[in-house]
Formats: sequence, structure tokens, C-alpha cells
Amino acid sequence: MSTLTPTWAVIPFALYLFLIAVLPLVVGRFWDKNQNKLALAMAAATPVVIYLLGSHPGGALLLLETGREYVAFMALLGALFVISGGIYLRGTLAGTPAVNTLFLAVGAVLASVVGTTGASALLIRPLLRANARRRHTRHIVIFFIFIVANGGGLLTPLGDPPLFLGFLRGVPFAWTLRLIGPWALVNSVLLVVFHLLDRLFAKREPAVQAIAAASSVEPLEIQGRLNLVWLLGVVATVFVVGSYGDRLFASTAMRSAVQVILMLVFAGLSIATTEREIHEANRFTWAPIIEVGVVFVGVFLTMVPALSFLEERGASIGITQPWQFFWASGGLSSVLDNAPTYLTFASLATGVADGGAGILKVADLGALAAHPVGQGLLAAVSCGSVLMGAITYIGNGPNFMVKAIAEQHHVRMPSFFGYVLWSVVILVPLFVVVAFVFF
Amino acid sequence: MIEDILVCLEGSSSGARASEVAIEVAQRLGVPLVGLAIVDEPDINARQATGIGGSSYKQQRDEVLLEDAKAQAKGWLDAFAERCRAAGVTSRALELRGRPDTTILEELQGHDLTILGRHANFRFETQDEDHQTRDTILRHAGKPVMVVPEGSAAAGPSILICYDGSLASRRALVSFAQSGLAGERPVHVAAVDDDGATAWEIANKGCKLLRELEVRAEPHNIVSTLSIAEAILERRAKLDAGLIVLGAYTRSRFSRMLWGSVTHDLLAASTVPLYLHY
Repeated sequence: MSTLTPTWAVIPFALYLFLIAVLPLVVGRFWDKNQNKLALAMAAATPVVIYLLGSHPGGALLLLETGREYVAFMALLGALFVISGGIYLRGTLAGTPAVNTLFLAVGAVLASVVGTTGASALLIRPLLRANARRRHTRHIVIFFIFIVANGGGLLTPLGDPPLFLGFLRGVPFAWTLRLIGPWALVNSVLLVVFHLLDRLFAKREPAVQAIAAASSVEPLEIQGRLNLVWLLGVVATVFVVGSYGDRLFASTAMRSAVQVILMLVFAGLSIATTEREIHEANRFTWAPIIEVGVVFVGVFLTMVPALSFLEERGASIGITQPWQFFWASGGLSSVLDNAPTYLTFASLATGVADGGAGILKVADLGALAAHPVGQGLLAAVSCGSVLMGAITYIGNGPNFMVKAIAEQHHVRMPSFFGYVLWSVVILVPLFVVVAFVFF
Repeated sequence: MIEDILVCLEGSSSGARASEVAIEVAQRLGVPLVGLAIVDEPDINARQATGIGGSSYKQQRDEVLLEDAKAQAKGWLDAFAERCRAAGVTSRALELRGRPDTTILEELQGHDLTILGRHANFRFETQDEDHQTRDTILRHAGKPVMVVPEGSAAAGPSILICYDGSLASRRALVSFAQSGLAGERPVHVAAVDDDGATAWEIANKGCKLLRELEVRAEPHNIVSTLSIAEAILERRAKLDAGLIVLGAYTRSRFSRMLWGSVTHDLLAASTVPLYLHY
């Protein structure tokens, strides 16, 4: 009997990702309820679980590992979500091109520290307030999505969920720092383009000069500063446990448990020490993180046989070069969530780098990251998954969040395809350069 | 004769002027006003692709925008009622939920005249202008609509009717004559053509039609190198007309695509209200 993962086992994963993208458009009211999302996740996962427990070698262990990974993943996302929700930037700066560009530049760095979602949640409202009196502000939000909600998060595992998944599977914490080249190229070009564009729009608005000189500008003040300590705690936890955990703890399970518990502790401290006014100002609710948790149950479970399938057959699929991985992972990331896309192509890269030797495994991406061929493939997958999440509103979690917050502030954001036009015109040529220079 | 007037309320500066004009007309004719504010719930709640975690933010966004829209609508209705009370005009407030174009088109069927601002923005949750709603209303109303520009210039004493002999133009002329809006004001009928004699003949036909409806008017033929809309606006300034009457979109869509639209040009450039009937 063949021990290869059957093709049909991939269908629930592909179908589930498709439904996540399409259902909000088709049956919005159904999709609004988290219990319906959970029901769909369970429905998609059931045939996979039955297959893993009944037919797949080591299936039960795989499920256990998946559960552990899911808990660690959600613990980090949840901790960053809660802690960033406890920080509020009060005050209003002048919405001039120089100030706006500086905001985005700070966001590009912050995204790699607190995550793209945290940095976006922290900075979008002050940026919108700074530009409240300007007529043309749509481009500011669009470039914010490009830079802060996507491109900025490339440097550390905390920056974007795909990179954290890689970290959980053994990619060293500092490994993503080698992506500083693409990070710097993409973000610096975008900042320059943005600055020139914003100056063009500002020229059409004489009021911008008045805004710059206005006495109503209040310096920014960080409220909920204690959360910066909790944030540091989360970063330290991830770094220390991730980097030295095998020396500090007897088993992977214990290491994982300590990591999760510490992150929950810091999240709990954030809730306990943050004033209610700050949460109200941030319109903090549990709904988004609950939604993410529910949907990712389905993603993690249905993903298991799909990753095995690609690991086993990776070399024969035809994607073998770094530039191919960059575009393929990026292309799918733009329309499907970038976290499962990253793992999908990391799995494929494992199969390609391994060449059928059976040495490299997707469960241990650390080995892939150290492999002479594998590291280049993994770098391409990381860049593609993270950077091209900016191409549509659904490519990365914070994209739609930023759009929704902007619309609450009465900025008319482009339609889905209107935004794609912006991203195709501005980002795709830049990604061509990235592919040419680095891959 | 006009017996009641529908005023479309929203936050643009032309919308504010439209309310003022409506009150002036209501005072002159002694008719009541109905102030209509729209809460564009269908567009606010329209489904979107949201990605993982996005539907929670969508729900939050929809709630905020809906509350904003309802608060804005209430504000406009209260302000309108107060202005009518101060002017001694009978008024009624009406808040409806629905897409602005279809809701207004449905409501205006029950009123004799509808007045709205040139840059009326019924999707006021965004910064963008919303000419699409205005243009849809003008094309499908089937009843007189008065479009009022922003600005507070005092209205000139006379009225300029643009007449080209088309069905829409004739309809506008007849409905205007029957509305009572002419009152004692001097009325001028102008026709634009490359041939002065042809224009004169058309203008006189318009005056004859008005005489049958007991409205006295003076004919004018306009021969000009300017565009039709520019020529009309030039004549309006000379006659100090405070209102322009015309049949809307008398050209076919294809013609409009090729040659442009007089209605569209006048809507963009006129500094006085336009009475339109399509």
C-alpha cells in the first residue's frame, strides 16, 4: 500500500481557503457569525482528521503537533492583539507630506517588532487624525497598507504570521534578518514614491500649508505605556524560548507550554493594567481575534495532509527556482491568507531541496533554513508571502482592518478591484526588481 | 400648479442653498415642503471580500457608519424643520432608508417638484462627490426637478427658458408654465442655432405655446461661436435671469457621448438654479 498522501486529501484545504475568500461576498450574514465559521471549519476538517487517524502513518502525532502549533500561534497573535489594543497614541500631528512619510517609515520598522496588525492598529488612527482636514487622503491609507500592514513585517518572526509559523517550525529567530535587503528596497522605494505622490496631492490643497502652521497640532502622547513593557516581555519570550528553549527545557512540549503560558500572562497583565478609556478609544473588542482563532482551526487541520503531499511530491511539481517560489507564493498570498500559503510553499521547497532523499521535513523548517539550496527557496517564499499580501484587501489580515478603520473616518477607499489597480501599478514593478535583484 | 415640494437634504453647500431656495419658493407659492433625508443602509452594509479576521472589522465599520448616517440625517431634518418654522412655511420631515437614487425616485413621484443641490452627496459617509445619484434622478424622474448650485447670490428677477423644439424641451416648458413659478416675473424663451432665422422661429414657437398656457414671454434667438451651454449662460447674465428652464438630456446617449451634453455643461457651470424635466 502506498504511504504517499493521496491527492484527494488536499481538497479540503484548497476548498476551505476558497470558501474563506468567497463566502463573505456570497452569504455575508451567514459568515458574520463565528459559530457558522466554526461549523465550516469543522466540516472541512472532519474528513482530514478521519484520514489522519485512520490511514496516514503517524497521523495522530501529526494532529498533536498541529494542535501544539496552533495554540502557540494563537497565543502570540492574541498577545500582540491584546497588548497593541492597550496602547493609544493621543494627539494630532500636522498631515503634511513630511510628517506622513515619517509616520510610514516608523510603521515600517514597528511592524517587525509588534507585528503588522499591531503596528497598523497603533498608527492608523493618529495618521487619519493628522490628515482629517485634507481632501485627498485615500493614497495615504493605500501606502499605509503597502508598508505598515505588509512590507514592514519582513524582518522578524513577530512581523507577520507566516514568519512566526516558520519560527515555530524551527527557523531561527534572527534568520529573517537576512531579508533586510528586500525589506529595505521595497520600503524605501515605497516611501519615496509615497512622498512624491503626497506632495503632488498636497499642492492641490492650499489648506495643507495652513495645517502645517496650525496651532491645533498637539504633540503625540503614548497612553497605556505599561503595555510597552508587556510587549517587551512577549518579544523576549519568543526570542529566548525560541532560541534557547532546547537547552532550557527537557521537551518540546514543555518549551511550547512555557512560551504559551508566558504570552498569556503578558496578555492578561495588559488587560488588567489598561484603562477602559484606552480600549474604548481603540474600539477594542475580542471579535476579530476570536474570528481569526476560529478560522485558523480549519486552516491548521486541513493543512496537514496538503503539506505532506507537497513535501512528498515537491520536486515533481515544476517549481524549483527561488524566483518561481517568490512569484508563486506571492501570487497565492495576494488572494488567500499568507500564513497557510507560506507553509504550503515552504513544504514544496522542502520537497525540492530534499530531492527525494527523505532528510528534510516541513515539520523542521530550521533544517531547510540551513540547507544551501533550501535557504534561498525559503527566503523567496518568505518574501513572496509577506510582501505580496499587500496586493489585495484579503491578502493579509490587517489590510481589511485598515480599510475599515479608514472608512469609519470617512475616507472613501477604493473598491476591491480599484485597490488592486493601485497595487498592480505600484507594487508589481517593484516586485519584478526584487525578484531580479535577490532571486 | 405646484401643490407641494420635496427637498432632498444632505450636507453639501449646494444642498444648504437648495433648502433656502425651496423655502423661498414655498413662501411665494404658499405650499408645504417635505424634507427628505436618506440613510444609505444598503450601500453601507454591502457585502465585501474581507479575508480572515475581516468580517469583525466590517461589522464594526458598518455599525459606525450607520450610526453616523442616522445622526447626520436627524441633524439635517431638525435644521430644516427649524428653518421652515422661522420662515413660516409648513413642513414635514421624512427619513428613509435605502439606496439614494431608487429611494428618491420612488418618493418624488408623490410630489410636484423636487429640489436638490447640484453637488448633492447622499453617500455622505465618504468625502467623494456623488453626481451619479443626481444624474440618475434627472434621467428617470419623469417629473420636474430643480437643481440648485452652491453660493448665495441673490436670484435675478427674470426667467430664461431654453427651447429647442424637442419633446423634452416642450415638456419642460409646459410643466413650468403650469407650475406657477413664473408668477409676475419676466419670462424669456431662447433658442440656439447656427441659423438666426431658425432659432427665431423656434423661440417664437415656444412663446406661442406659453401664450396658450397664459404665460407671456419674449423670444430670443442666439447665434454664437460659443458652445450652446456657454451661449445660454451668457444670455442669462445679460437678462439677469434667476432661473433657467430646460428639458434635460434631449440628446441621445450616443450623441451625448460624441458631442457632449448641454444639460451636463449647464449643471456644471450655472450659477443659478436649473429647472429640469426629462
